[in-house]
Amino acid sequence: MWSQLLDTILKTEFLFSVIRITAPILFAALGAVIAEKAGVTNIGLEGIMMISALFGVLFSYWTQSWLVGVLGAMFIGVLLGLMMGFFALKLKTDIILAGIAVNMMGAGGTIFLLYMFTGMRGNTGALVSPNILIPTVNIPLIKDIPILGDVLSGHAVLTYVAFLLVWLIWLLLYRTPLGLNIRAVGENANAASSVGVSVLKIKYITIALSGALAGFGGAFMSMYYSQGWNSGMVAGRGFIALAAQAMGRGEPVGAMFSSLLFGLAQALRTKVSGLQGVSSYLVSLIPYVVTILGLVIYAASTIKRVKKIKAAQPEVKA
Amino acid sequence: MEQHQNDLVVEMRGITKVYPNGIAANQGVDFSVRRGEIHALMGENGAGKSTLMKMLFGLEQPTEGEIIIKGEKVSLSSPTAAIAHGIGMVHQHFMLVPSLTVAENIVLGMVPKKSGMFIDFKKAIELTKEFAERFNLAVNPIAKVADIPVGMKQKVEILKALIRGAKILILDEPTAVLTTQETAELFRELVHLKEQDYTIIFISHKLNEIKQITDRLTIMRGGKSMGVYETASITEQEISRLMVGRDVILDVQKNQAVPTDVVLRVRNLEYTNEWNKKMLDGVSFDVRKGEILGIAGVEGNGQRELVDMLFDLKEPDAGTASVNGTDLINASQAKIRGLGVSLVPEDRMTYGIADSATIEENLISDRFEEKRFNNGPLFNMKAIRRESDKLIQDYTVLCKSRSQKVKMLSGGNIQKVVVAREFSSDPALIIADQPTRGIDVGATEFIRKKLVDLSRAGTAVLLVSADLNEVMELSDSLIVLYGGKIAAYFEDTSQLDDEMMGEYMLGLKRQSDEEIGRVCHER
Amino acid sequence: MKDRRMFGFELVRGAAAILLALGVGTIFIFLSSDEPLTALRYLLIGPLISIKGSVASFNTQGLYTILAAMIPTIFTGLAVCVMFSSNQFNLAGEGIVMAGGFVAALAGIYIHMNTGWHAVICVLIAAVLGGIIMLVPALLKVKLGASEMVTSLMLNYVCMYVVLHFLNYNFADRSKGSTQTYPFDPTAQIGSMVPGGSKLTWGFVIALVFVVIIALLMYRTRWGYAIRMIGINQAFSKYSGMKVGGTIVLSQVIGGVLSGIGGGIEVLGRYTTFLWKELPGYGWTGVTIAILAKNNPLLVPLAAFFIAYLDKGCQLMATYCDVPSEMIDIIQAAIFLFFAAEQFLSGYRQKIVVKNTRADLAKAAQAAEGGAE
Repeated sequence: MWSQLLDTILKTEFLFSVIRITAPILFAALGAVIAEKAGVTNIGLEGIMMISALFGVLFSYWTQSWLVGVLGAMFIGVLLGLMMGFFALKLKTDIILAGIAVNMMGAGGTIFLLYMFTGMRGNTGALVSPNILIPTVNIPLIKDIPILGDVLSGHAVLTYVAFLLVWLIWLLLYRTPLGLNIRAVGENANAASSVGVSVLKIKYITIALSGALAGFGGAFMSMYYSQGWNSGMVAGRGFIALAAQAMGRGEPVGAMFSSLLFGLAQALRTKVSGLQGVSSYLVSLIPYVVTILGLVIYAASTIKRVKKIKAAQPEVKA
Repeated sequence: MEQHQNDLVVEMRGITKVYPNGIAANQGVDFSVRRGEIHALMGENGAGKSTLMKMLFGLEQPTEGEIIIKGEKVSLSSPTAAIAHGIGMVHQHFMLVPSLTVAENIVLGMVPKKSGMFIDFKKAIELTKEFAERFNLAVNPIAKVADIPVGMKQKVEILKALIRGAKILILDEPTAVLTTQETAELFRELVHLKEQDYTIIFISHKLNEIKQITDRLTIMRGGKSMGVYETASITEQEISRLMVGRDVILDVQKNQAVPTDVVLRVRNLEYTNEWNKKMLDGVSFDVRKGEILGIAGVEGNGQRELVDMLFDLKEPDAGTASVNGTDLINASQAKIRGLGVSLVPEDRMTYGIADSATIEENLISDRFEEKRFNNGPLFNMKAIRRESDKLIQDYTVLCKSRSQKVKMLSGGNIQKVVVAREFSSDPALIIADQPTRGIDVGATEFIRKKLVDLSRAGTAVLLVSADLNEVMELSDSLIVLYGGKIAAYFEDTSQLDDEMMGEYMLGLKRQSDEEIGRVCHER
Repeated sequence: MKDRRMFGFELVRGAAAILLALGVGTIFIFLSSDEPLTALRYLLIGPLISIKGSVASFNTQGLYTILAAMIPTIFTGLAVCVMFSSNQFNLAGEGIVMAGGFVAALAGIYIHMNTGWHAVICVLIAAVLGGIIMLVPALLKVKLGASEMVTSLMLNYVCMYVVLHFLNYNFADRSKGSTQTYPFDPTAQIGSMVPGGSKLTWGFVIALVFVVIIALLMYRTRWGYAIRMIGINQAFSKYSGMKVGGTIVLSQVIGGVLSGIGGGIEVLGRYTTFLWKELPGYGWTGVTIAILAKNNPLLVPLAAFFIAYLDKGCQLMATYCDVPSEMIDIIQAAIFLFFAAEQFLSGYRQKIVVKNTRADLAKAAQAAEGGAE
C-alpha cells in the first residue's frame, strides 16, 4: 500500500492537482488576510464563495462568456462584502454574526436562487458547457521543461491569478497608501483617524476586497474545479481559509504556504481514497486536523515568543 | 499688555465646558499664549487643563466662550480643523501604529506617491529626515515604531504635528513617560523649536521642569484659572500654593484613631514599567488595624502601580507585601480576597462592575460561592435578595429595584454599588483607590463617612487619592509619594497644611529617611 | 418605568426585525412564484391551518410536526446560549450533534438492556462524548489562546468524517441499499407521545425539562452566574475572585453535553437506524435560536417554535407551490442580521435614552436644590 501511495505522489500529475486544489482556498485565504489586516474577521467567506460560485455559472451561461461569469462572481462577492459591512459597521451587528448570516444564505439561499432563476434544483448540470468554463493555458517556455512543465503549465487562468494575487495583495498592503491605511486602521484605529484617515471607509473597502477575492474563489470552484455548481461544493473551504490566514500569521505569503499545505492534504485524500484498504473518510479528515494542529502550533509558538520577550527584559515581569 | 496684543497666537476667552454628565470642567477660563513662547499649563489632576486643551485641539467643543487664533475667531469642530489652523497636539498616549516604520507613521494620511499608486518610501524617508534635521529631532525613519524607545516615539509624534504645518504645539504631560536623560533631550529640542518661532503649550505639574524651560505659566485649579505669571518672577512655593489648595474644606467628623496590630506590611517594593521607567523605588510602609493611612501625591508617581502590586494585577520586581503575615505578591485575586482584602478600584467601569448585569448580580460577585447564598447546587435566592436589598438600603443606592441594570445608574450610585460590595465583606483591609473621583457630593460624603466608620470599627484602610482634600481630611496618618518613593510621612494629619503638602507632592522637599521610616511600625 | 420603556423598545425592535425579514421573504416569493399569494398563505398560516375549499381547520398533526422539529434545535439553542453567555463563539454544536447521534445509535444497537433505561444510557453516552469533544476548543482557547471559532469550525468536519468512516467501514448494514447502521433495539428508541407519524416523541418533554434546568443553571446557580459575569466583563470577574479559565471551559463543556444529548435524542426518536451522511444543520439553527432568544434559555422554546414554524411553512410552499423550501435560509439570514443589529432603529432608542436622562437630570436638580436649602 505504501509503495503504491508513493508511486502516486511522485507523479507530476499529483503535484499538478495540489496546485489546482490550492487555488480556491488561496483566494479565500487572501480574502481573510486582507480583512483581518483591517481588523475584520470575515467568517462569511464560505457563504460568499457559495453564492458567487452560483452567479459565476449563471452569468457565464447568460452571456456565454466565462470572463463575464468570473467578473460577475467577483461583483457579487463585492456586494456581499458591502452588505456585511453595512450591517457590521452601520447597524453594529457583530461581524461574526453577519458572517454567519451570509453563510446561511450561501447554504440554502443558493438553492432557492438557482431555482428562482433557472427552475433547476440542487445543481447546474445542464447549464454548463465547455466553452463557458474557465480556460486553461499552456505557458510557452515552461511547458517544455520536462517535469516542471507538467506541474506548472496547463492550469486554469484563474489558478495563475490566485498565485499572482499573493504578490499583488502583498504589494497592495505594503506598497500602496491604501495598504498603509488598512494596516493602520487594523492596528490602531485612533491613530489612523487622528490624522484624517476615515476608518469606516477603509473598513468598507477591505471587506469589499475580501468579498471580491472570495468571489474569485467561488467562480473557480463552479466554473473550473467542479465544472458546474452544486449545493455542497464549497465544503468548508471558506472556514479553512480563515485557518490558513491564522496559520500564515496573517501575511499573504504565509497564507499561501498554509493554503498549499491544505491543498496537499486534500490532493492526498483524492489519491489515497482510490487505494485499497484506505478509508477515504479518514483521509478527508487530514486538512481539518492539519488546520487544528497548525493553529495549536501557531498559538503555542506565539505564547513562547511573548515569554521570550519578557525573559529578555528581566526588569519587566509577567 | 497692550503691545503684546498682536503677539497673541491663541486666545481663549470665557471658556466654560459642561460635560453631558453635568460636570463643569471649565468655568469661565481665560487663557492666552504669545507667539514663540513656551507656556506651561499647570494644575492638579481634575483641574481642567486637559479639557481646555481638548477644546483647543477640536476634540471637545466649549459650552460657552470663544477661541481666537492669530486674531481670527475660529470654531474648532474637529482635530482636522485645528490642524488646519496650525495647531498640533502630542497626546500622553501616543497615537502611533506600532508595526509601521517611523516614516510611515509620520506620513500616514498624507502619503507621498510615485507612479500614481505606490508609496514613495524614498520621499517619505527624505521628508522625515528633512524635518528631523530642521527641528533637531533625531529619529530613525526606517525603524519600526514598536522597536524604538519612548523618547523617540514622542519625537515621532512631534514630527507628525510639525510636518502637518503646526505652528502651535500642545504637549500633554510629555515628560510623564520619559527618563531624566530623555527629558533633558526633549527640553533642548523644545528650546530649539521656540527659537524657530514655534509656540509651545506645555502641560505639566513638575515644578523643576516648568522653572527650567517655560516663559510664562497659567495655573488652573478646580476648573478655573488662577492667573498667568511670568515664570521668572514667581517662586516654586507660590506656584505650589496656587496649584495645590483646597477651595472648600470638608469637615469629616472622626474620633482619634487607636491603631493596633499591623495588617498590611509592605517592604521595599520595586517596579519598573515596560518603558524602563522606575515607578516604585523601595516603598515600605505598614497599615494598622483601626487606622486610615492615606497616600497622597500627584498622579503618576507610583500610586497606581502600588495598588496593582497589592491586588495581583502586576508583579513587582522585588519586595514583599503581606496581610496578617500571609504573602500577597504570589496570591491570586481569589486568594487575596480570601485573606480579607477589599479593593475599590480606580477604574470602576473596567474592574468594579459588570455593566449590563443587575445591581444584585454586581453586589454578590465576591461572595456568591459562600454557603449562605447556596442551597446545594442552587442559589438561595431569598438570602441573596435579602443581602442585596440590605446593601442597597445601607448604602442608599438610588435605584428602581435590585434587578435594575447597573449601567442605568448615575456614576455616584454605581460607585455606591462597588463600595457596598467591597465594604460589606467584613474586610481586614480595604484598599480604596480614588474612591470618590468624578461622583456627586452626596455620594462622596457618604463613602467618606463609611470609610471612617469602618476604620473605627477595626478595619485597616489604605486610601489612595489624588484629591488632597480627601486624603488630608480622611487619613489618620499619611505618606506622600513622589517619583516612586515615599517623600514624607506624617503621623498626624491634623497638623498639616496645604502649603507644606504641596512642597512634598511636587518634590521641593523630602523628609529624612529616619522620619519616613517611622511608617514601618516594627515591634 | 425606565426599564419598562426600554423593554418595550426591545420588543418593538424584535418584531420589526422579524417583519422586515418576512418582507424580504415575500419579495423573493413574488419574484419566484407564479402564485405568490397561495405560497404566502402556505408559509404564514399553512403550518397550523389546513384549508380545504373554503373550510379552514386546525391541523393537529401539523402542530405535532412543528413541536417534533423543535426537539434537536431546543438543545442546540440552549447549548449556544450557554456558550455565547461566556462570550465564546464556539460553533462546534453542529458536529457534536452528529457524533452524539451516532454513538447513541451504536449504544442502541450493541448494548442490550431490557428496561427503558436503555435509551437513557444511550443519550448519556452521547452527552459525555459531546462534553469531551468540546474540551478541545475550550482547552486550546484557555491554555493557548487559539481562536475557539476556527477550531470549532474545523472540529465539525472532523466529527463528520470520523462518523462517516466508522459508519461505512465498521457499522454499516450491508444488506441495505443505502449506507446505514443496523436498527437499534426497541428499548433504545424514544417513544412517540401522540398518535400519528409526527415523530413528536417524549424527547420534547425532555427538551422542555432541559430548558428549565439550563434556565436554573444560568440564573439560579453559582456556575451559571459566573459564566454570565465572565461573558459581560472578564476583568471584573477576575478581580472579583472568580476562576475565569475553568468557567470558560465549563460553559463550553455544557454546550457540548447539550448538543450531544440533542443529537442522541433526535436520532433515537426520529429514526430506527443511523443514516445521516452529512452534518444535519441543527448546530447552525441553534445559533439563530440563541440570537433570537437573546441568550435567555427560557425564550429558547419560543424561538425554536418560530423557526420550526417557518421551516414547516417553507416546506409546504415547496410541496404545494413552486417555491423551494430553502427559502427558509434567506428568511433566517435576514432575521439574524436585523435581530443582531444593535443600531437597528437606534435613532428611536436614542430618543428614549435622552428622554430618560432628561427625567433623571430634572429629578437630580430638584434633589440638589432641596439638599442645598
